[in-house]
Amino acid sequence: MMKLNARTPPNDPPAVRVPDGKPAVADQPRLAGRKRPRFDTMPYLFILPCVLFCLILLLYPVVYSLTLSFRQATVDTFVSGDMPFNGLIQYQAALADPVFWRAVINTVLFAFFSILFQFTIGFLLALLFQVNFPLKNLCLALLLIPWVSPVLTAANIFKGLFNEAGPINQFAHLVGLGPFPWLANPAYAFPATIVANIWIGFPFNFVLLYAGMRSIPVDVYEAARIDGAHYWQRVAKITLPMLKPVSVAVLMLGTIYTVKVFDLVWIMTGGGPANATHLLSTYAYQVGFSLLNFGEAAAIATLMVLLVLLLNLLQLLLRRA
Amino acid sequence: MNAFEALPRWWITAVAVIITAILLSPFYWVLLGSFMTPAELFATHIVLIPQHWAVGNWSDAWSRLWPHVRNSLIVSAATAIGTLLITAPTAYSVNWLKPRGRQALSSFMLVTQMLPAIVFVIPLFIVFSKINLVNTLFGLILADMTFTIPFALIMLSAYMKDLPYELVEAALVDGASQIRAFFMVVLPVTLPGLITVGIFSFLIPWGDLIFALSLITEGGLQPLTLELYKAVGQYGIEWSFLLPGSVLTAIPAVLFVICASRFILAGVTRGAIK
Repeated sequence: MMKLNARTPPNDPPAVRVPDGKPAVADQPRLAGRKRPRFDTMPYLFILPCVLFCLILLLYPVVYSLTLSFRQATVDTFVSGDMPFNGLIQYQAALADPVFWRAVINTVLFAFFSILFQFTIGFLLALLFQVNFPLKNLCLALLLIPWVSPVLTAANIFKGLFNEAGPINQFAHLVGLGPFPWLANPAYAFPATIVANIWIGFPFNFVLLYAGMRSIPVDVYEAARIDGAHYWQRVAKITLPMLKPVSVAVLMLGTIYTVKVFDLVWIMTGGGPANATHLLSTYAYQVGFSLLNFGEAAAIATLMVLLVLLLNLLQLLLRRA
Repeated sequence: MNAFEALPRWWITAVAVIITAILLSPFYWVLLGSFMTPAELFATHIVLIPQHWAVGNWSDAWSRLWPHVRNSLIVSAATAIGTLLITAPTAYSVNWLKPRGRQALSSFMLVTQMLPAIVFVIPLFIVFSKINLVNTLFGLILADMTFTIPFALIMLSAYMKDLPYELVEAALVDGASQIRAFFMVVLPVTLPGLITVGIFSFLIPWGDLIFALSLITEGGLQPLTLELYKAVGQYGIEWSFLLPGSVLTAIPAVLFVICASRFILAGVTRGAIK
């Protein structure tokens, strides 16, 4: 604990300051005339635990990770305790590694195809569920299960489904195909992880788009219907444009979540075979915890954050266009 | 041409049920598969119903998993309680008592949620090794809270916004202190939100793998997910252990969904859209 505090960076962030007491003095006379009792230090007392947690367990690790990316932090230096600064060497090492670039491309493709299908499936389901029908609430609740259950469960299920002797190949066998070595073949394993991730994420898209569609006023549809617009015309001309704010939120959150995916791929393939399924998250983890090169892992983590920012910026620009 | 709107309602029900069944078929496989022997599971033809229900899979898995279930329960419950204790007063204060810097705090939480877990895992592992928090459940709880706190604060803020503040004011006029009003008025009124956020804060550490994988190497302290992860070993996969274990891991989440899907819907859409 002592060490933690001692190493808290001096250039403190604008994020979480506790200007304790100061507003109390300023507000005192104004509040004195009112019935409301002293509000002065109370607001800060209420947020104090959270601010401390943020400083020690959120901000400090982020800054630590950033500085670590400029240090040599391998097994030797980790044990001896001093991790010397060595500038950009970790970044150079990462950028020169073909597996890193493979992981970058995979991360982008993984996010793109996951979100494309999650959104499409979620959108179509949301359309279907706009109509009230018997058993609707039950179906809706059941469809949430892939998303709320632990990723480990989904990962193990798809590990089994894509097993060489598993159900998918059993079906393929019925129609005279296969067997395909889904997870053992570099060409098949990556799409297999995407399929699993689509399954995990579609309910989230569905639920948000469903709620978004419900908030579109019914009379807009009625007016269009009276004017003779067909169902799909109404979807294209009313639902899609009016859903835009929700869609943007869903896509941005989807990007953030998908770039963060770790467990699924780590359990299903561990990044293999032949590094074919590595995402930046699994690759950084492998460099850090299997190869015990924490400095380079931290550098990859920093580059990963830059990628998240870039993808979100790209979406903002696309939205403007 | 007016698509499915003109169809009788039960037709739509049939379509929706079929689609739901297809989308949930992976669960059917794991559920039935957990009662099959490996030979049946990966036979050359499809086995839809196990011929001899291998109940032994479940009893074996349970006896092996129970200590880890206990670890997971401790860690998840402690994380949920700790998260609520920290975020509930903060969400209330940020929304109604308006401390300075609240905007910064909220934006910081939003940004934190965007960061990948690896950004936290490496520093926490290094620092926790130095202060002997590696291989302790307490260390794992603290690490899990780095996931739950930003998420919980954002979600709880949405609930706190809807709090009828007149109730608090009435209590203050009656002479209650701000702290007393918080416990006697704010918490009871926002209870549905607290429960929803609390359950999410329970499920996140329950399903966590990355922190457990990096911080807990001692077998006796490992949570459920880690024990199952290890079942995929170098000598192949122990399917008759892995499948019941995977179902078991999903049980809290499934129970939650079936009991409270309405709360989840409300919670998710509040947090994300508003």
